[in-house]
Amino acid sequence: MKKLCIAALSVWFKLTKNLTGWLLPAFLIVFWEIAARNGWISLRILPSPTDIVHAAINLTLSGELASNIATSSARAGWGLLYGGVIGLVLGLLNGLVRPADRFLDTTLQMVRNVPHLALIPLVIIWFGIGEEGKIFLVTLGVFFPIYINTYHGIKTADPQLLEMGRVYGLGPWQLFSQVIFPGALPSILVGLRYALGFMWLTLIVAETIATTSGIGYMAMNAREFMQTDVVVLAILLYALLGKLADTGAHLLELRLLQWHPGFRNS
Amino acid sequence: MSLPVKQISVNPLSGSKPGPVVEMLKDRSKPKITAVKTTDPSTVPGITIRLENLSKHFGDLQVLENLDLSIEPGSFIAIVGRSGCGKSTLLRLISGLEQPNKGTVFYDGKVHNKLNEDVCFMFQEARLLPWHSVMNNVRLGLKKNQFPKALDALQQVGLETRAEEWPSVLSGGQRQRVALARSLVHEPRLLLLDEPLGALDALTRIEMQSLIERIWLESGFTAILVTHDIAEAVALADRVIVLDQGKVDLDLDIDQPRPRQRGNAQLCQLEAEILQRILTAPDASETAAASD
Repeated sequence: MKKLCIAALSVWFKLTKNLTGWLLPAFLIVFWEIAARNGWISLRILPSPTDIVHAAINLTLSGELASNIATSSARAGWGLLYGGVIGLVLGLLNGLVRPADRFLDTTLQMVRNVPHLALIPLVIIWFGIGEEGKIFLVTLGVFFPIYINTYHGIKTADPQLLEMGRVYGLGPWQLFSQVIFPGALPSILVGLRYALGFMWLTLIVAETIATTSGIGYMAMNAREFMQTDVVVLAILLYALLGKLADTGAHLLELRLLQWHPGFRNS
Repeated sequence: MSLPVKQISVNPLSGSKPGPVVEMLKDRSKPKITAVKTTDPSTVPGITIRLENLSKHFGDLQVLENLDLSIEPGSFIAIVGRSGCGKSTLLRLISGLEQPNKGTVFYDGKVHNKLNEDVCFMFQEARLLPWHSVMNNVRLGLKKNQFPKALDALQQVGLETRAEEWPSVLSGGQRQRVALARSLVHEPRLLLLDEPLGALDALTRIEMQSLIERIWLESGFTAILVTHDIAEAVALADRVIVLDQGKVDLDLDIDQPRPRQRGNAQLCQLEAEILQRILTAPDASETAAASD
């Protein structure tokens, strides 16, 4: 009996530990509901949480919600893949090969300082309002954080470990795979988390400006009909998807950086 | 250190009881030459080192100046001196990690100018790869079929039970033991130690010293230890070399039986002697410069 109690307690503690982060959002939603029901805020300006749940249920039943989430996620995923691969490859190349660095870095820094969202008019002219334009913008948004952090990770490889590797007869490939790359990985993963933020940001802007499907389209469409509940639902979806992507990246960190004291048992 | 090769070359000439090896040598017309030929360096565990006229400067700073030194195969040499006297630089030149501005390093009579697999280097820091387990750190640079040797080496340093752990959970002394195991799997013929115990506490240091001594006695490699701890130098080395301003200031044989007792009166006296020499060295070199 006593053991059971202790087990139940420890499960409770574990659950609450993981749930701590959700306490504040939950409290805010409850407060919001109360405020809406008592007429403290106009339903035209901000619908109540229950209205949003209703909207979510209706859109789910019609299949609209699922298809819009799928469309947006696909855009985000492809953009992340392209931008991530290009950023990683260029980061590795410029970090490892000095002539490539000298040749490319100036160009990359200039391109980096142009806000990629400023390209939207041009992108619409180039790609129309199809998928390519959005994926292109997400690719651009994701590319730089990954590039910069990969480059930085490679450049800050520990010279003492490199010297040690040479003493123990490691060749260039082994030096890269056993010393340089694992050392750069924490930095690359920071880049990935930044990139995920840029990914959603870019997508939201791209989808609200020129599109015929996706979460952003759903929100813009709802605005035309003053369906504030759907608009707020879209915003919440972005928040949830963003959190989901970040959690994924964090799990990846926990898995790949097990050796790092900073990522143990957290 | 007595070497099998030396005995072979002596026996036929002295005419003592010929063993089978000697008989074999006698069949040849010139036993002396064949005896020299059998001095194939790879059969001797330790490397013979000769430094000729070695000089190194960094910019205007002359670190080593026309240094000559011979080191017997299988011997244990300690290099001591004030900080900045060039002892670490000397070790790096011997290893081939750095190149001298002038002069030559010879291994077994051959010019040595880059790293090779006969030489292992232990640094002041353990320099373990934090993302590899202890075992994989020891396996670094080995081929797959040599992996079993890693476990043997870990056993030698008494850490086989920690094989699967991350280096970050080990203590400083344990990390240096892993670094030692990592050197040992390569079966070095020359082990260079650049103050590897400098950052350890006194007790761990003494343990590590006996561990290094034991392994050196078992394996027979040549060992060169750079240290600022004269007690350590006297406890471990066959010969202590005091460097001062890029030159050999004192070259002292430590003729004491092993295992050496810590606090032994003779060792203490040697230690005091060396310390005295280091502390008074600047004056000595100044007078030397004046008399030139």
